[in-house]
Amino acid sequence: MKIALVGSPNVGKSVMFNNLTGKYVNVSNYPGTTVEVSRGKARIGGIDFEVVDTPGMYSFLPITEEERIARKIILDENPTIILHIVDAKNLERMIPLTFQLLEARLPAILVLNIMDEAEKLGIKINSKILEKELGIPVIETVSTTGRGIDILKGKIEEYVRKKFI
Amino acid sequence: MSEKNLFSKIGYEDPIELYISKIEALLEAEYKISKRALSLLLLQEDKDMLELIQKKEKKFLGIKTIVDEAKAHYKQPLSYIISKRRQEEASSLAKRVFSYAKRPKTSFLEKISSITMNPLTGAPILLFILYYGLYKFVGSFGAGVLVNFLENKVFGDYINPFMINFVNMLVPWQILRDLFVGEYGIITLGARYAVAIILPIVATFFFAFAIIEDTGYLPRLAMLIDRLFKKIGLTGRAVIPLVLGFGCDTMATMVTRTLPTKRERIIATLLLALAIPCSAQMGVILALMEGKPLALVLWLGIIIMVFLIVGFLASKIMPGEMPTFYMEIPPLRLPQFSNIIRKTLSRLKWYFFEILPLFIFASLLIWLGQVTGAFNFLVKILEYPISWIGLPKEASVAFLFGFFRRDYGAAGLYDLKKVGLLSGNQLVVSCITLTLFLPCIAQLLMNIKERGIKMGIAMSIFILFFSFSIGFFVNIGLKFFGINL
Repeated sequence: MKIALVGSPNVGKSVMFNNLTGKYVNVSNYPGTTVEVSRGKARIGGIDFEVVDTPGMYSFLPITEEERIARKIILDENPTIILHIVDAKNLERMIPLTFQLLEARLPAILVLNIMDEAEKLGIKINSKILEKELGIPVIETVSTTGRGIDILKGKIEEYVRKKFI
Repeated sequence: MSEKNLFSKIGYEDPIELYISKIEALLEAEYKISKRALSLLLLQEDKDMLELIQKKEKKFLGIKTIVDEAKAHYKQPLSYIISKRRQEEASSLAKRVFSYAKRPKTSFLEKISSITMNPLTGAPILLFILYYGLYKFVGSFGAGVLVNFLENKVFGDYINPFMINFVNMLVPWQILRDLFVGEYGIITLGARYAVAIILPIVATFFFAFAIIEDTGYLPRLAMLIDRLFKKIGLTGRAVIPLVLGFGCDTMATMVTRTLPTKRERIIATLLLALAIPCSAQMGVILALMEGKPLALVLWLGIIIMVFLIVGFLASKIMPGEMPTFYMEIPPLRLPQFSNIIRKTLSRLKWYFFEILPLFIFASLLIWLGQVTGAFNFLVKILEYPISWIGLPKEASVAFLFGFFRRDYGAAGLYDLKKVGLLSGNQLVVSCITLTLFLPCIAQLLMNIKERGIKMGIAMSIFILFFSFSIGFFVNIGLKFFGINL
């Protein structure tokens, strides 16, 4: 089983990777920190996963070398689940990639990360409607504090069990 | 995947939908993504996908014809039309799920953010950061206080005498003693340079850099400097690899991968190899020029000039379209102390374990070279170009070291200065030449890995001649104007 983390640069993919695997990768507040692909292991609900942290991608149509690498991972490695991680406050700009993942019929879960900053700006997001309209699980998280990570893990487990059992 | 979800139904305008279904009908092989998504990528002339179907589809030519037809139908690129449509859909969806509890006001941090990107206020802020972050903290504290302590106290008073005694007691042969504790010994030179000179400098740099990067200042610097960079064929995007180069050029060369065009990657790699001194080297250079502000200004001026001129010429020589630039500007954040420490430590660990073997290997090579006489021969050869640029012949040792590791070479000059062998002019000339001189062995290998063997070697040869030529002209220029620094 494989989980791939995808999303624009600087939305917290690497922190999420740390959270899921307990392995440390460099985390920065600038886009493009993940040039190399990090891999780790996670055990969620008794199931072993390989977790892959991909370089940032804005779109499924690659422009930079990093985006090309990220897409190659998605296409070549057949991840069981793709976590599309977005910066909640910039949802509008980031959701086109979700559309593209779904257009391609890839198994995506949408993770609204950095919820704390969105809340500070007074933004409220109705995840229920979002979930219904997209037809995929939508989870709110704050990866730096760990908020929502357990719910995310629960959804991952549920998703895998539904699909394979 | 959840049955028929909405998005397969994001409708595009009619001609596009028509082209999609035409292509879909021609696709016969199995793919990991839906045929609709694949057709959309093909319509946007995705090179990888075109290559893929060329291999897998018998009707490739038919598909290609449809793509060309679609392209001819529209004035704008299809990728633009398609992503515009998706963005419309995204905006309408966002409107339905977003609600604002209160109108967001421009916060204090946002005000600071715009100040850093305004050229008038941004430039002084940049200078402030460079002065305190680099010059004061890395230069004075790291390369001064810490290096002094480690070198003179820890190594000079304790480790070296102890190890010399220890090895002398254990090893009866002078030749073998030299390998460990001689003038260029593994312990007395290799370990001392790595631990006492390079480590504190790099540690302070990585610490300062981690703070700066976690605040989110770098993307703002990218916006600030974008216009200047456009003139040298780069965009603000290149700020990150180039600034990273001040830490370690080898790592920075790897990060040039984030640049979108090949042309930008080549220009950035060249500038990194030539005109961006890494932290170790810069620390030693700052220490060398301590108390000589004029020399420092001259060095800085010439390096900046070389950077701009070489960048400008490279962008003229190399064909390519004007790069476009768009970068996500993350919010300014208060850095988390634990993240900074962790990041500094992990980079330091990576760096240190990368360089320590190289230093030991270099000591070993030099020892071998000395035993066989090859080292003296090379030093003798190097003495010619060294004397052309007006330096004492002892400096050729430092330059030969510089070939193994630029910082290693700078540290060698530091030793020369300490015993009073370099005048002000010679100091400037040697610092300039050494800054521009060939990248360290690790970076040379990285250049070859990232840019290919031809480009890597060609760059190195260019840099070799270029650095000595600049040194030569600076020396002559100083003499001509009767300047004594």
